[in-house]
Amino acid sequence: MASFDIKDKVAIVGVGHTKFGRSIDRHALDLIAEAMQNALDDCGLRKEDLDGLCSNFGWPASYDVDAMAETLGLNLNWYGQTWTHGRFCASVIQWASFVVHFGLANYVACVIGQGAGPRMVGGAGDIEGRRETGGGHGESPHYGMTSPGAGAALAARRYFHRYGATPEQLAAVPIAFRKHASLNPNAIMRAPITREDYLNSRFVCEPLRLYDYCLVNDGGTCVIVTSADRAKHLKKPPVYIAGMQGIRTGRQEFIFGLPGLGVMQQEEFAYAPKPEQLKIYQTSGLGPKDIGALYTYDAFSFLAWVALERFAFCGPGEAPSFTQGGQIELGGELPMNTNGGLMSEAHMSGWNHQIEIVRQLRGECGERQVKGLEVAMWANAYGDALIYRR
Amino acid sequence: MPEYRKPLPVISALNRPFWEGAKKHELRFQRCNRCSKFWYPHGPVCPYCWSREYEWAKVSGRAKVTSWVVFHQRYFEGFKDEMPYSVAQVELAEGPRFLANLVGVKNEDIYIGMPVEVVFDDVTPEVTLPKFRPA
Ligand SMILES: [Zn+2]
Repeated sequence: MASFDIKDKVAIVGVGHTKFGRSIDRHALDLIAEAMQNALDDCGLRKEDLDGLCSNFGWPASYDVDAMAETLGLNLNWYGQTWTHGRFCASVIQWASFVVHFGLANYVACVIGQGAGPRMVGGAGDIEGRRETGGGHGESPHYGMTSPGAGAALAARRYFHRYGATPEQLAAVPIAFRKHASLNPNAIMRAPITREDYLNSRFVCEPLRLYDYCLVNDGGTCVIVTSADRAKHLKKPPVYIAGMQGIRTGRQEFIFGLPGLGVMQQEEFAYAPKPEQLKIYQTSGLGPKDIGALYTYDAFSFLAWVALERFAFCGPGEAPSFTQGGQIELGGELPMNTNGGLMSEAHMSGWNHQIEIVRQLRGECGERQVKGLEVAMWANAYGDALIYRR
Repeated sequence: MPEYRKPLPVISALNRPFWEGAKKHELRFQRCNRCSKFWYPHGPVCPYCWSREYEWAKVSGRAKVTSWVVFHQRYFEGFKDEMPYSVAQVELAEGPRFLANLVGVKNEDIYIGMPVEVVFDDVTPEVTLPKFRPA
């Protein structure tokens, strides 16, 4: 096993967000400033303490971090930004972790804000999706292939075909997350849905239906990362990062699928991850059995199945049955997205899930608290992951 | 001829021979002179062996559908008369997979493994789109 010197040496100490809503009609930077203030208040730091800033949500949908720093009056020793996609949420936390661990900065705020402004969800206004290389979801606008959901639909079709999975089985994912949202006062969509509601909902990009899709909304979030040494002296108990692995890409990967699914140039085979493809468990010394709650980037319901198989919570083709019978609901064997996820709480690019993990591990989640939670995991369809512990 | 209102492909130095071939109703993909593999997306080197020695070889145009989606939500005004329309992932007999529209088949009759062959749609004087029909 490779040594992983950073294990438990970095922590999340403060989390904050704004109200989440379909259309808040505020500037993105206004939402970011409010979320940052709330995160600072959460851990008892002042804005003068922040010396690092990172985001995965800048131009064209929001503000770039250097402009943020100037406008908000921050003096930074380090900043970083990925291009604008939710899939880089854990990557941002990983960068922030390395930065505080190696001393390039002491306190890194990871922020995003979506306000009134362009959204990159397909069509003529999706300027990234119309590039030569599209937006990374299989865009091919001259054939009408547009929007992230279409890429997920293309992969879901392959999966349904390969394993004989059904839409009735997929319904269990949005139903579970909506049930969790009904216990979350911050969630945008709180009315429970049934299997019939799911099956009667309209197709957006077939085989995916409306309830297979996440929300599109406004809001701001902030998560503050620092070293374990500094974390001990702050207001609330630290939530430590116990393991991580990076986001994957290449010809054997498709953003919304497992290796082996035969999407784009992938080979076709039943993917069962080898130990070296699960660095997250090697680095943390923990395994699926230790995970008390699982969080995943549920831009589309199908991605929950991908994450479960990618991280060996079940075998190839087993995720459809694994997600039945309340197993991924609160009180089940592996509660997933207890906040309601991108599908029902809000689409904050995965940051609302990180905030939920922190609050769950602090025991702050009231009605939806996972009892006695010690270890939680962020596991992405894209292959990146984080393990958090109290 | 009515104005063509759908998005057009972004033609670049990497993919120009593909689009020039399509205009002549020839489907061309890069084939490596060293390892003989065809590849896609178009690129400056063979992604398998990084050889720069390749040719834009004409392919058979025979393919099979390996996945497909049907757009029920309208994202582009130019597609409004074709709703709901399909986009298929086709796998060429020579190996590469890419996305294209199907013609001459109802959405409900599409299936994985369906044999198809290329047809060429001259959508503007400059651009021809390869599409696929049941073979
Ligand atoms: Zn080669």
